[in-house]
Amino acid sequence: MAERPRPGLWALFGIWLVLGTQSFGGGSSTLLFIHRACMKYGWVDESEFVRDWALVQVAPGINLVKFTALLGYRLRGWAGLAVAMAGLLLPSSAVTVLMTAGYDAVRSQPVVQAALKGILPATIGLSLAMAWQMAEPLLTRSWHEGRARLSAHALVLVASAACLILGASPVIILLLSGVCLVLLLAAIPCGAETRTS
Amino acid sequence: MTYFWLFLKASLLSTGGLGNLPFLHKDLLALAWARESDFVTALAVGQVSPGPSGLWSISLGYLTFGWLGAGLALIALAVPPLLILVVAAFYGRVETNLTVQHFTRGLAMGVVGLTAGVAWALARSTIFDWGGVLIALGALLLAASNRVPIILVLALAGLAGCLLYLH
Repeated sequence: MAERPRPGLWALFGIWLVLGTQSFGGGSSTLLFIHRACMKYGWVDESEFVRDWALVQVAPGINLVKFTALLGYRLRGWAGLAVAMAGLLLPSSAVTVLMTAGYDAVRSQPVVQAALKGILPATIGLSLAMAWQMAEPLLTRSWHEGRARLSAHALVLVASAACLILGASPVIILLLSGVCLVLLLAAIPCGAETRTS
Repeated sequence: MTYFWLFLKASLLSTGGLGNLPFLHKDLLALAWARESDFVTALAVGQVSPGPSGLWSISLGYLTFGWLGAGLALIALAVPPLLILVVAAFYGRVETNLTVQHFTRGLAMGVVGLTAGVAWALARSTIFDWGGVLIALGALLLAASNRVPIILVLALAGLAGCLLYLH
């Protein structure tokens, strides 16, 4: 694991503040913002990012809040956790309350409605881009381990998407994904010499 | 106090932004502390407002109990995530094990699959025509290029929405 940068607390707070206020349109865009920040500042690499995001799914609470807590903690301990969470939550909560208060006035505005009809589809595109960027390093690595292993990874990916659409619980899907890949990889030997890191 | 406990319980027992919805829906309606319409408004606001869509329960707190309700809902959301540190610490002790590594790979693939699945479900409720498909594809390409700030992508999408749907 590379040397982890140690950003100043104010800098950390500032970055999360920007993340918390910019990401309109639900969680998909927030996650992409966090991803960009992680890569830009070298907080974690792509595989650590996916691993942490996966860990986050199995603990209780809002995923993005847990993710923020974990990244903040990894960077600067408890103080990092506190400033990251405050930066993410305080401004966006305040805006949420203000929007709730003004919701009835704004909802009927045709401009707002039209803009939202554009923004919501865009958040779907954003989350798909995110999904691709999270999957790419692992798929590349498994490709080096042989075609059968790549297929095993792809199979788990597609199956978990299908199970979610069919209404299965996300936590169950994730646990099954883990178990299935353990079994599949135990059955399929590593094709090339590449050591799994 | 009961009010805070209900929000905390819903947050503790759920994972993901909307996981606490079924709990709050049942408990608050049973006590007549919230109306059905409060939930609709809160969910809509949660979708549009900045930050995680799970912040919808802050909106619900405000609708049912004013600023105090919003504050209590925020605390209830902020506390359970601390358990992630326990999970991460445990994982840190076993991560060199090969089976654990394969399991984590499976988790990662599962997470990507879930992201795609959620996108699919959302698409069915937000994309109604070819304009929406084009906007989603455009946002996908712009974001994948890693060159365009996301706020600009969202702004462009809002503009496209105005051009397409404003009559």
